[in-house]
Amino acid sequence: MNADGPSTPAAPALPRILGPIRPRPRWREARLLAVVAVAIVVGSVSLALAQRAPDAPPGGLEPAEPFHLAVYLGVLFLAHLAQVLAGRRTDQILLPAVGLLGGISLLLMERLPQNLVVQTLGDTDLGLADVQLVWLVLSIALATTLAIVVRSDRWLRLYKYTWAAAGVALLLMTFVLGTEINGQRLTLSFGPVSGQPSELLKVILVVFLAGYLSENRSLLVEQSTRVGPISLPPLPYLAPMVAMWAIALGIVVVQRDLGAALLFFAVFLLLLYTATGRPGYVVLGLILFVVGAFVMYQLVDHVRTRVDIWLDPFADPSGAGYQVVQSLYAFARGGLLGTGLGGGLPLISGRLPIPAIQTDFPLAALGEELGLIGIMAILGIYLVVIERGLRIGAAARDDFRALLASGLALVVGVQAFIIAAGNLKLIPLTGITLPFISYGGSSLLVNGIVVGLLLALSDKGVEPPPPPRQPGRLARLARRAAG
Amino acid sequence: MMNRRPVSRSIAHVGLTLTVAFGVLAAGAGYWQVFRSPDLTSAADNPAVIAAARNVVRGKILDRDGKVLATTRRDDNGDPYRVYPERSVTPVVGYSSRRFGTAGLERSYAAELVGLTDPDPIRNLLKKFETDPSDPKTLTLSLSLPLQKAAVRGLGSDRGAVVMIDPRTGEVLALASTPTFDASAIANPATEQQGFAAARDGAGKPLLNRATQGRYVPGSVFKIVTAIAALGSGAISPTTTFPNQSRAERDGLVVNGFRIREHKGVPVRTFDLAHATEVSSNVFFALVGLKTGGANLTEYAAKLGFGGDTGFDLPVAPSQVTNGNGDQPGGFVDDVELANASYGQGETFVTPFQMALVAATVANGGELMRPHLVTALTGRSGTRTVAPASLRRVITQEEAAAINVAMVRAVEGPLGRQFTPGADVPGMTVAGKSGTAELGGSGEPHSWFIGFAPANDPQIAIAVLVERGGRGAERAVPLGGSLLKTYFDTVAK
Repeated sequence: MNADGPSTPAAPALPRILGPIRPRPRWREARLLAVVAVAIVVGSVSLALAQRAPDAPPGGLEPAEPFHLAVYLGVLFLAHLAQVLAGRRTDQILLPAVGLLGGISLLLMERLPQNLVVQTLGDTDLGLADVQLVWLVLSIALATTLAIVVRSDRWLRLYKYTWAAAGVALLLMTFVLGTEINGQRLTLSFGPVSGQPSELLKVILVVFLAGYLSENRSLLVEQSTRVGPISLPPLPYLAPMVAMWAIALGIVVVQRDLGAALLFFAVFLLLLYTATGRPGYVVLGLILFVVGAFVMYQLVDHVRTRVDIWLDPFADPSGAGYQVVQSLYAFARGGLLGTGLGGGLPLISGRLPIPAIQTDFPLAALGEELGLIGIMAILGIYLVVIERGLRIGAAARDDFRALLASGLALVVGVQAFIIAAGNLKLIPLTGITLPFISYGGSSLLVNGIVVGLLLALSDKGVEPPPPPRQPGRLARLARRAAG
Repeated sequence: MMNRRPVSRSIAHVGLTLTVAFGVLAAGAGYWQVFRSPDLTSAADNPAVIAAARNVVRGKILDRDGKVLATTRRDDNGDPYRVYPERSVTPVVGYSSRRFGTAGLERSYAAELVGLTDPDPIRNLLKKFETDPSDPKTLTLSLSLPLQKAAVRGLGSDRGAVVMIDPRTGEVLALASTPTFDASAIANPATEQQGFAAARDGAGKPLLNRATQGRYVPGSVFKIVTAIAALGSGAISPTTTFPNQSRAERDGLVVNGFRIREHKGVPVRTFDLAHATEVSSNVFFALVGLKTGGANLTEYAAKLGFGGDTGFDLPVAPSQVTNGNGDQPGGFVDDVELANASYGQGETFVTPFQMALVAATVANGGELMRPHLVTALTGRSGTRTVAPASLRRVITQEEAAAINVAMVRAVEGPLGRQFTPGADVPGMTVAGKSGTAELGGSGEPHSWFIGFAPANDPQIAIAVLVERGGRGAERAVPLGGSLLKTYFDTVAK
């Protein structure tokens, strides 16, 4: 509490672009990164042994593609070093956790056939692991840059409607200009550069929701309309929910992207609950979801197909249900301990058993080779990431920041849940990526942004948050004394 | 009012929700990876199963002297396929084809030959830590290739079967069925279509393993089963005679108004067991069967392996004494059926393999050893041998000795020789019984012989069946004798 009892600055303070920068050691992060490095090196050696077996003589314990491994670990270390030099008091667990997931991704891409993805750059052909390494490096660099540079949330806080407009524009552009791949209109191409805007949209959605909800929170919490036993918010404030619902349905119909629609709507509901603490919203949202899902199932062919496959993939194991059945076979082959990296995924006529394994089914591949134990570990790492993000949100002393950080954590967590549950036949399969693990530039870069923003938001020291609006204790005491 | 507390509390709620959701994911993974793992992993369209069948080099199959019966070559794509150098062993070894699946030992020992599973669950779990988790086993059989080839050669162009068993251990030394087929042609991807079509549609149904799957009217060889049941149940002793037999030999034995007639060449008088076996008296064994009763007859047949599982390495069709739909003891319709069954007519159907077990039981002093083909499985982790094991004692040593004496007389006795010419092996005593299975209507009967040698210390038991081979004496008996001689010339020399 400041003695002068600050009361005025409702607008955020100006960013301090050039503050005194003093290096600050991050021992916890360093220790955890060391553990991560050991884990990845061990995994790489195990992969190399599996790939050389059984003919090669045991010449030594060399890692698979030592160059890739060195680059990746080097970049992780540089990210750590840069944050030490920047001297910010940011979270020290996020980077190692995400670094471990990225390392698992790199190992998986090393292990899969390299010709699954070939990008030609000049005269050199880059294979799956090469390309993924490039994206991983860029993603970590992006996260670190944001973690160091972002000293203010003003640019996010003040322009929420601009962001929303940008998001809607992006969505419309994808609707209209998007390229259709496998019956889904998800990709937007500009010359040689192409990407999946829905990945970026999820961040924009969180930024907008954090701004909107923090501004209208008191209204949403305090007023209510009673409909029977349920207490609902005032009807005008339901408009955003209905709008969000409509957008999600639009994504399902136009883009055929069930995963993104599910992700957006789930994150919206969870953030709405976070902001208001009112279960009534969740109930209402779930009712809307059930109605929407039912209508979509009746009216939209590809939704019905997906759901039917989910209900009984074994009805057509070599046709419609092939991908899901093969995924379940892969999990089953892994068993408790797994086949070991490089020991699974038997080829049929030289082809991998699961189509689109590197984007849609990395969890099935990891489930086979690392076993149930490995799956538990990976799910655990995601929980750590979620927990750190939510903790950053809970510790933020400002609604916008709290909702922003929670929302960013939720985007990662819910997305991981949706695709993992789809792989495990708990819910219908959707084509979204497994954060930090799936192959793909858009996904890795956007998740890099998420991590960078979370790190920046976790800073406990440099910029004080806007002071509370109620009068300070001294002022109250003074008033009481006066009254 | 901006109240700070509720946000962090609802964040905690959200965190709890996601933790529970991830717990559900872990439970889902556990369901597929542990609970459903066994049945999904062995599903026929699981790539692991397909890849194993395609890529894993199956273990070899060797005969008792190490001669190769099944091995593997690679085609132009580097994919392995099976080669079977010896056509005579196809009923035993079977085939393994990418398109047409597996048969024979290739089927019943598929898991061991591919080496994907280990009978020991602990070793199964630890296999994951080896660089190459598959450990294909080489099977060593008790089969003797020279004996097997001699049997197939001896059957010649006839359809038939030969089974030879070491009665002391239950080891099967020969298991022949003719006609044979070209298993290599089925296994080779280049010829699989024609190869399989030839085997499936060939004259005489080559894919039918007559030794284990063919069920035949036994005729007189079944009298040994009747003798075992009669002595074992105490219905008769080796010296029991039937006063009414003499007349019945002349006029036929009337059972419930049905007249059982003797075949030609049986003297008109009363006999004991050995004498009756020597002359193969239908009337005597009908009387014995009636005295023994249907319940005892089927019970002792079951002890010999009829209708049940003897734990053999190949599937065996169940042999039967009766259809079992009658309401008399043992399932017989009436005494007429029981009397006919007692000398091997009636509703009695047996496999040559089952009759070899009958001969082996008598030869081994009344104790039936578990029949087996695979004597050793050799893999990276060492060799596991299959030890001889007793299945059960059927009759006592003394009772078996009495039948042994009777079967010796059937081969060596002055009258028996007429029925079993050529069954004798120079330098030793042979025990045996011929059979002529009348099939009704026109056409030659099935020709049978079961026996063992040497009678005083049996080392090899045999059952021979030649479809439509004529009287036992004409075809099966000389073949059995020559194969016994081959055994002592090659295996036991």
